[in-house]
Amino acid sequence: MLVIEGALVYANLLVLLSLGLTLTYITTGVPNFAQGSFAIVGSYAALTLLRLFNIHPYLSIPVVFIVGAILGILVYLLVLKPLIKREASIVILMIATLALDLILLGILGAYSGFLERLTHTSAAKFIFTHLDFEIYSFSAVLFVSFLVIFTLIGSLFILLYKTKFGIALRAAMENPDLAEIMGVNVEYTRIFSWMLSGALAAVSGCLLPFRQEIVPGTGPIIIVSIFAASIVGGLGNIYGALLGGYIIGISESLVTYYLSRIFGAGVLVYGKAFSLLVLIVTLLLAPKGLVSINWSKILKIRRVFKWA
Amino acid sequence: MGLEYILVNIALWFGLYLIVTLSLNLEYGYGGIPNFGKAFAVLMGAFAIGGIINRILIYIFSISGQIIEASSKIKTIVNSIIISNPSIGVALFLLSIVLSFILGCLAGALFILPSVKLKEDYLAITLLAISEVTYLICYYNVDLIGGYYGVSIPDVFSFVPGEKRVFVFSGIVLLISFIIYLMLNKLLNTPYGRLLKAIRENEDVVKAYGKNIMTIKIKTVSLGSGIAAIAGALYSLYSVNVISSSFTRVEWTFYPFLMVLLGGAGNNKGILLGTLIFVVVKILLTMYKFEISSILNLPFEAVWLEYIMFGVLMLIILFYRPEGLIREKPIFTKPIKNVIEKRKARK
Repeated sequence: MLVIEGALVYANLLVLLSLGLTLTYITTGVPNFAQGSFAIVGSYAALTLLRLFNIHPYLSIPVVFIVGAILGILVYLLVLKPLIKREASIVILMIATLALDLILLGILGAYSGFLERLTHTSAAKFIFTHLDFEIYSFSAVLFVSFLVIFTLIGSLFILLYKTKFGIALRAAMENPDLAEIMGVNVEYTRIFSWMLSGALAAVSGCLLPFRQEIVPGTGPIIIVSIFAASIVGGLGNIYGALLGGYIIGISESLVTYYLSRIFGAGVLVYGKAFSLLVLIVTLLLAPKGLVSINWSKILKIRRVFKWA
Repeated sequence: MGLEYILVNIALWFGLYLIVTLSLNLEYGYGGIPNFGKAFAVLMGAFAIGGIINRILIYIFSISGQIIEASSKIKTIVNSIIISNPSIGVALFLLSIVLSFILGCLAGALFILPSVKLKEDYLAITLLAISEVTYLICYYNVDLIGGYYGVSIPDVFSFVPGEKRVFVFSGIVLLISFIIYLMLNKLLNTPYGRLLKAIRENEDVVKAYGKNIMTIKIKTVSLGSGIAAIAGALYSLYSVNVISSSFTRVEWTFYPFLMVLLGGAGNNKGILLGTLIFVVVKILLTMYKFEISSILNLPFEAVWLEYIMFGVLMLIILFYRPEGLIREKPIFTKPIKNVIEKRKARK
């Protein structure tokens, strides 16, 4: 039961991360290699609030959301916008996000040292599990993560489908040139997507220490799972991020758990390898992700075979 | 020690990084393949020594036990043999280089296979993911190459006295990197090199001329990985152990990209310059790490400052000089030169 609980929490957090990745990929066309580090910025923001002001990480979610949003906006305005203006190629943009990842890693490492000196407790490695409590014999983080997912994604969908700005946003995602002709300011939609991406990642990072140990270098490691989730679902589709996040999140935890029961605990290190395997299989069979597969067509073919 | 030591360190790292940046230039500068998993090939080179050569030696001398303890036993045995018979050491050295090259080529071909048909962003993500996962497996699985404990490997030049060892090694590394430089220059001045540049500029045109882009890309990454694996092997042979934690993405993927972009992608002279500048800065930073920390009164380790600095440097290059310090020059083949001369003659 504990394993399934952990898998669900992890999947929820992965959905938040891959959703942010997909959003920025749709609007700016660049896979953000720093998405993992965005999350760890959120983790450290939560840690700071806990250590300095004694605020429980659950209560600091709104603050962390804002911190992440500001980070996202800054990254877009300072790094990506100038490059896009200079008409940099996708590869150059990708290298820029890789550089950004390194800068964030450096800043987080330096900040952890700073925080350590300030509070005289270790900040280079931390975990929040001891702060968690139980609700009906389930860990609270399970409920909190679901609550966060429902609120954030619910409001995102209301925004996308019920407001004028959301319709403009979707139009700009579908076809930026056409949207621009119709008077949509594509620039706003890009800033918005980076803001949201940073905020979602930071919130996810705020809850991640309830499930695993955080070090400044955790971001570059979880990026594999984030990419796997986004690509398995379909990098060009928001629903894909939801689907892929749950598939990768649940399978990464559950499959390695059941494999470890057969082959021993040594298999546990292969969790990420399993994500990679799913990623490669998806790329070989359906490079545009699961969302792109035309299921009705496949079902039709099967029906034809049955008649024959 | 002193200055001499700094210079020889710069020479060593210049040679090692030059091999990797040249191979990256072949893939990214010429072929336009964004190999975000360069560290994978370097790790494979180290694996060839720590994982394969070590096991062969352990098998030959029939030593029992886990790879970590057995490797330290084999190290002492082989070291003493090499001291009395230097030719065995040289043979082992050459075998290591050849084996790492072959393993690098094979691993490189497999490495690009799943994503070779895809667009550059998907390609980069997949290569990075494969490299990262391989790194994690090698790091956490102690049975492959010792994981976080690492394995020892024999010192192939144990017949050289201790204080001269680093000089001999730097010389050999520089020599090998120079040979690779000449060979790649020669190779890229053939139709193959021009074909690579054509693929980088426009794949569809190349396809229209009836070339198979997939096989060319696989061959290129395979060759590039083989070359980069040599650097991994040399580094392991120098440090006499293999610890997978020294083959991180920052050190062997990001820094090579930084050097290539700093010097200028697509031309090997720029790569020389970029690598030299980077290595000099990096070695000086590492040498004066403690001084910098104490002068600035940093409350944290200087390595984080190094990350921030090099990350910002990369962004500055991308903003202000994405073509690098030395620009790529147009290729003048014989037929083109003839055309130019004829035009001049007409005037």
